[in-house]
Amino acid sequence: MSGEFNPSPEGNPSFLARRNPFQTALVKFIAEHTPKCREVVRILSQSMDSKLPLSMRVKLRLHYLICTWCQRYEKHLRELRKFAASVPDHTDAFSEDTLSPTAKDRMKEVLREARRE
Amino acid sequence: MRPRNKDSIKCTGMFDPERWVEEHGDCLYRYALIRVRKPEVAEDLVQETLCAAVKNYGSFGGKSSERTWLCGILKNKICDHFRKLGRETCFTDMEFLEDELSHKFVPQGFWNHDLGPLEWKPEADVVMHRSEFWDTFRNCLAKLPQRVADVFMLREMDEMETAQICDTLKVSPNNLWVMLHRARMALRECLEVNWFKEQSSEGSV
Repeated sequence: MSGEFNPSPEGNPSFLARRNPFQTALVKFIAEHTPKCREVVRILSQSMDSKLPLSMRVKLRLHYLICTWCQRYEKHLRELRKFAASVPDHTDAFSEDTLSPTAKDRMKEVLREARRE
Repeated sequence: MRPRNKDSIKCTGMFDPERWVEEHGDCLYRYALIRVRKPEVAEDLVQETLCAAVKNYGSFGGKSSERTWLCGILKNKICDHFRKLGRETCFTDMEFLEDELSHKFVPQGFWNHDLGPLEWKPEADVVMHRSEFWDTFRNCLAKLPQRVADVFMLREMDEMETAQICDTLKVSPNNLWVMLHRARMALRECLEVNWFKEQSSEGSV
């Protein structure tokens, strides 16, 4: 087929690139039998919320062999989770908003009441 | 293990709710403010949190730090807040990033290799110690529509299960998947452009 997209152009940093006829055939095979990147990123988001079936996990592993970008995407989603989860430990860096002194006094008053109950 | 007497903790003055206001008040307030965006609502949530903490101090076994414990209570209060709000998902929430960055992909569905994800450097653990990073993170979060941000934060900050988010926010499972995917995609992109790309260009000078 003319104008066929080459998923592994020269300089492709992925593990498996088209260096010889055998690798070329392998790259094409994997490209045809694993989801396309647009679909992979959707699947990767789902994988953050529920466990994927084994067959899909295998397909993703194979896909990573020819696509370092999707592999990075997965890593980034995990890092995003790490960032979000550690926001409570970094609220000082996150903003400089503070409770007003009146709000603090009011809270102390309410807490004194609550303690007495 | 040595037996531990809970009453002795109280007697030595560790149970001092007024001190919580000074020591943890601002931290809790900032966290609440990120989530609800309205100062008066955030203040109320902090107050409710501290009151609940006074009532349930007996259950605080000292296993975690006081702040972690208070943060945990605040998270529950935030969930309650969203549950009470109970708005339906509106059309504009689903419109956000509808094209899912299609320009970054070639028509066959593969990444356009010049526009695909970059390698992030330095590593996440290093980046988290830079206060400027959190400015960028906050700005990126602020670009999400409120509803999409709510969904993302309930999932990733509060670590709520998806079924519970659907229930809390009255979102269908399918809409939740879509919103989470787009929120992650948008945040990843925003952090890459505004932080990691900047970092690598500074590094190469």
